[in-house]
Amino acid sequence: MAYLSMGEAHRRITEYLNRFSDAVSFQDGPSLKHLLSVSSNSPNLLSLADSLNVFQDANRLIKQSDRYSQFGEMLASLLRSFQNYRIGHLVDAYNAFEKSANYSAFLQEFRNWESAWAMEAMYVIAYEIRVLAERADRELASFGKTPEKLKGAGSFLMKVFGALAGKGPKRVGALYVTCQLFKVYFKLGTVHLCRSVIRSIETARIFDFEEFPVRDKVTYMYYTGRLEVFNENFPAADQKLTYALMHCNHRSEANIRMILKYLIPVKLSIGVLPKSGLLEKYNLVEYNNVVQALKSGDLRLLRHALQVHEDRFLRSGVYLVLEKLELQVYQRLVKKIYIIQKQRDPSKAHQVKLEVIVKALKWLEMDMDVDEVECIVAILIYKNLVKGYFAHKSKVVVLSKQDPFPELNGKPVDS
Amino acid sequence: MLMNQGGNSDTGAPRDPNSLEACQVVDASQGHTSAYASLALGHPPLPSTSWSEALSGTMHRIANRSIETTNSSYHHDQYTEPPSRDAQDGLNAASHASTSSSLGSASGPQEYAGYTSYPSSSDPYGYGNAGYQAYYNGYQQQTSHPNSQPVGAYQNSGAPYQPLTSFQNTGSYAGPTSYASTYYNPGDYQTTGGYPSGSYSNQTNLWNEGNYVNYTPHQFPNYTSSDSNGAHSSNTVAATPLHYDQHYKQWADYYSQTEVSCAPGTENMSVTSASTSDCATPVVSGGYPNSNSQPPPPGTTSWKPESSSSELPPLQAGAMVCDTQNGYWKHGASGFQNHHVNQMPSYFQKPLDSNPPLYDSFQDQQKTACPQGPNLQYPATHHVSQNYQPPLQTVQSLDTRRVSKLQIPTNPRIASNLALGLSKTDKDSSTTDAAAKPSYISISMPKSNNKVSSLDDADPTLKLGILPTSLRAYVERAFGRFKDDSQLAACQNIMKEIITKGSADGTLFTRDWDTEPLFPLPNMDVVKKDSVHFSITGSSLPKYKSPSRRAKSRWEPLPEEKLVDKLASVNHVSVKNVSWDHLKESGRVFSSGKTENKEDSWNNAKFAPLQQQTPSKNIQRPVKKQRLIDGFNAANIDDASSDSDKEQGLTAYYSGAIALANTPEERKRRENRSKRFERHGHRAETKHFRSKAFGAGNLYTRMASALVLNKNCEDGASRAVEDIDWDALTVKGTCQEIEKRYLRLTSAPDPTTVRPAEVLEKALLMVQSSQKNYLYKCDQLKSIRQDLTVQRISNELTVKVYETHARLALEAGDLPEYNQCQSQLKSLYADGIKGCHLEFSAYNLLCVILHSSNNRDLVSSMSRLSDEAKKDDAVKHALAVRAAVTSGNYVLFFRLYKTAPNLNTCLMDLYFEKMRYEAVKCMSRSYRPAVPVAFIAQVLGFTSVLATTEGRDEKDTDGLVECEEWLRAHGACLCADNNGEMQLDTKASSSSLFMPEPEDAVAHGDTSLAVNDFLTRTS
Repeated sequence: MAYLSMGEAHRRITEYLNRFSDAVSFQDGPSLKHLLSVSSNSPNLLSLADSLNVFQDANRLIKQSDRYSQFGEMLASLLRSFQNYRIGHLVDAYNAFEKSANYSAFLQEFRNWESAWAMEAMYVIAYEIRVLAERADRELASFGKTPEKLKGAGSFLMKVFGALAGKGPKRVGALYVTCQLFKVYFKLGTVHLCRSVIRSIETARIFDFEEFPVRDKVTYMYYTGRLEVFNENFPAADQKLTYALMHCNHRSEANIRMILKYLIPVKLSIGVLPKSGLLEKYNLVEYNNVVQALKSGDLRLLRHALQVHEDRFLRSGVYLVLEKLELQVYQRLVKKIYIIQKQRDPSKAHQVKLEVIVKALKWLEMDMDVDEVECIVAILIYKNLVKGYFAHKSKVVVLSKQDPFPELNGKPVDS
Repeated sequence: MLMNQGGNSDTGAPRDPNSLEACQVVDASQGHTSAYASLALGHPPLPSTSWSEALSGTMHRIANRSIETTNSSYHHDQYTEPPSRDAQDGLNAASHASTSSSLGSASGPQEYAGYTSYPSSSDPYGYGNAGYQAYYNGYQQQTSHPNSQPVGAYQNSGAPYQPLTSFQNTGSYAGPTSYASTYYNPGDYQTTGGYPSGSYSNQTNLWNEGNYVNYTPHQFPNYTSSDSNGAHSSNTVAATPLHYDQHYKQWADYYSQTEVSCAPGTENMSVTSASTSDCATPVVSGGYPNSNSQPPPPGTTSWKPESSSSELPPLQAGAMVCDTQNGYWKHGASGFQNHHVNQMPSYFQKPLDSNPPLYDSFQDQQKTACPQGPNLQYPATHHVSQNYQPPLQTVQSLDTRRVSKLQIPTNPRIASNLALGLSKTDKDSSTTDAAAKPSYISISMPKSNNKVSSLDDADPTLKLGILPTSLRAYVERAFGRFKDDSQLAACQNIMKEIITKGSADGTLFTRDWDTEPLFPLPNMDVVKKDSVHFSITGSSLPKYKSPSRRAKSRWEPLPEEKLVDKLASVNHVSVKNVSWDHLKESGRVFSSGKTENKEDSWNNAKFAPLQQQTPSKNIQRPVKKQRLIDGFNAANIDDASSDSDKEQGLTAYYSGAIALANTPEERKRRENRSKRFERHGHRAETKHFRSKAFGAGNLYTRMASALVLNKNCEDGASRAVEDIDWDALTVKGTCQEIEKRYLRLTSAPDPTTVRPAEVLEKALLMVQSSQKNYLYKCDQLKSIRQDLTVQRISNELTVKVYETHARLALEAGDLPEYNQCQSQLKSLYADGIKGCHLEFSAYNLLCVILHSSNNRDLVSSMSRLSDEAKKDDAVKHALAVRAAVTSGNYVLFFRLYKTAPNLNTCLMDLYFEKMRYEAVKCMSRSYRPAVPVAFIAQVLGFTSVLATTEGRDEKDTDGLVECEEWLRAHGACLCADNNGEMQLDTKASSSSLFMPEPEDAVAHGDTSLAVNDFLTRTS
């Protein structure tokens, strides 16, 4: 780092302070936004941070002028945050930033401003607080301390949400904060906390959901869709994730991939298979074998795929969803047998002997005895994946003559 | 917290009467008798009341100050203990200094103000004045006359002091005649007589008189003779004085300001003192409290003015009860002339005069202290006294008088002091050593035995025989209410107090005992308090040494309040008890439980000393304590003395003493002492508890001790709750019994009922090999767990216990208990303690699967499984069960059931019903036209193999029948086919199946709470 003279440092700090107070006094949200984004690593802010490290007494500068001193607390904390961020003290940076953003400072000012001009700045703050908290937690964890900053960020964001969720022009920002909250909660594993936020978004009548910015809507739908996946409410999950997919910017492939990561299992559960090109395009190859197993009725393949990617599926939370595809694989297998029988002897095709199924499974190296397969068949019938009945005496599955293997067609398997 | 509250509430209960009485007192300030009578009744509770009120009022308002003041007052209380400790420890100087400084910073002036005032007042001894004289007169009469007469005399005198005197006198004299004889015989009493002439404070008379006489002669010599301690004592004394000086000054300031932060504490203190005075004369602790309490009064006075008038009544009451002193103070400081108008005129001439009484007490104490400080003290005292002499002489003629009478060669003042001190010592020794005599005697008190005997003699006066019949009836009524000995013992104390007071104010024979309301049942509170007191002293000791202060936290106020409350009450009570116990010991007891009482008294007695030291050294220690206090007092006095020159001299002297106190040897000694204390104190405590409190007191004790530790260790400084050193509080069990019933703790555990780890291990083995039913085992295991918890044992034994219990709970289907164990095990395993964690992670998995359909939990607990765990059979099995359940594969499920390792079956059992029902629903939908019941029985786990007509064994037949019954119970349609085999008619059943209401359903929804069911299941 080039040597920075004291005078230069002083000049830069003053310049920053001027820009800040100008932005506030002209209600210039976009400029203000840039002045707040600690983690943006923009050259201006980096040089400011360097200057602060050289010129330690920035507080004096703030107090010198009325222009700054009205934001004294906010600015002082903010500058400290820049400084700490620059030297890698992330916990301190977070603490200072939260102080600067908190009630007594920015948020308070924000509440007082009539219009929503500073919304973008608020966004930046909500974003920064989360990002800094995540990094601070990582730092804390590396010290062996309890990571708790993200939790703090969550409660701060709830306050911000409170400031935005009411009527008025600021409500438009509520969804953004909600999404930040989702991110926090999902990361913390406290997903149940999402419910209250969701309720306040979805029950509000004054503000139509469609009026929120698209980007927030997509994010929101993505997270709520994920929640529905957890609840195994596949139709709702399908609807939300599809919405997110449809409205997501086509160029942001990472986001699309994230959506698809959940949408594909959901679609599979309701009997919709993706094209292999899609999986490859978005690098979701872990689903390849699953899809293949569904297509071919290859139970072994499915189990293998689940086993190979167990960690990944467990982490993303779709493991149980995929596991439930087994029944569809069985259905496929029985259907295959049925088709083969039909080719041989159409008159007896609708009677599938249990031992045939057992033999087929044995080929797949699935060692299941008659009782077990009988049970599977019973379940298939019970769940309406197979139409027909099972004759215990003769150990024969008697299939319905009409549509013995109903398609799911977007409906989930009966439970 | 609960404990505290309980304590408070207890105190509160009595409060009402007291306050009322107090009001009466105020109103009837003139009518001494009535007021007193009321007081007598209310007396026992009073302290607590005053405390609580004071606390509530002042504490909050004067946030810091009040607290600190309370501390100060508290401090005083502690004084009894701490000072003693300090003295012993040699920390006196340091601790006091620190305290003083701390106090000074916050409320510095206020706290010590009380003390300072004392000294100042003491100097003024002139105190005695008219009022005193009157008082004295009365006093003398008392001594000379039977009890009843004294009362009358008091009334006659009408001086404000008299009430005080009467009280105190009564207390000590209650047994009086005898006492008088014993105590006064020596002719020391006459010294008291001399008092009248002097301006001496009543208290002194009261307190010291008895002891005084006896001791002066005896102990004095002893002390002088003993050299070893001398240096030490001198040090302590010196140290204290310094402390006092500081305080003193502060006090003066304080006094001038008339700030009142102290009031609450003071009141209590005063009350305590009063109480102490009543019975405690003999008792060491009593003596201490008095001295302590006295300081507060000044505070009180000052305080009162500030405090709202509403609060005054209680305060006054307290004051009244305690001493005129308080009253004086009040008058002087705040000019509450209402009270005093009648009584105080003489006293009130000077505001400072009000202080004098206290002062006097201090002086007395000082004196005591001097004598106590066995050998060297004397010299020290001498010096001090010499320094003082001028003021003293000027102030008091009494001293000279005393001296003359005592015929002690030292200066009149000193002599007087010594005499007093001796008397106190004697008291202490008598009480303490009544039980512990040996050590005491050996040390310094050759004649302590004599004294005791005299005391015994004196006690008889209190005997019922003397009492009016109506009173006897009253006593009987009162005692009739008690359920157990402990209560009885506690009540006896109260009764004695009442009677004593009654005799003191002369209402004993005038009051209508038949209509007298019974005092509230002590409910062991008293006992508890006592125990608390002791424990506090004991526990606080170690911590006391660490003077470090903590910044106040939000927690502080609460604990402090409680502490103060408790302490005050505790002291009060304890004093009473001790004294009474002592009396009992001496021979007269109202009723049974003598042995117990004795023990208790012993314990009590010991405890007080124990605070500082070991039983063996009890004698010396108490003495030292007194010394400290006395020393303090002396210092105060000195300070009080108007002569600045003297003061300076003293300071120098004291500083030297302090230096001595801090020498390495001294430090070593201190350490040893504390160690000893820890060892012996514990024993004593235990004993005490056993005998008296039945462990109930323990809770209080613990709590209180914790609070004390937290709050008080250091006089004004308090600690945040979170800073409490819980390690120091961790119970170390001593119970050797292997079997123990579980009883949910409602308070701090009693070490005597807690088993140490070795015993717990045996207990675990016992449970494991026991043939008894689950209920018994569960009970035993819970008590083991409790003992582990309270001792904070967390090792492999802990894991074993929890694992054992978890398994047993699983076997019995006791899920709530299992869940408790499981969650404990989780954290124990997380701490790296070895156990069967794989087995239990399998259980955990099954639990999640079977009992909560929360996919997120399931996924997360699955993702937490390590590779190692995934290879474990139990875990694999659990995972397979999970797969079977999620897919609804009933065949697999029941197969897995048959191969389940460990207790996985038990958890699966709990899922049977649901699984079977689902299965039958599935079958009835997918099978046509029918399914043989035998097949169902087989796949659903009713029978082990498919039952064929031939060759079924009995068990399978049973299973078949069971299956049939189960199917019918769930609405299945069964019919027999051609072969007579039972079939499930699937089509008919598909619409008729239902899940029956569980037969064991109970109204509250938790079947495990249905006792009958539970018993049948587990027995």
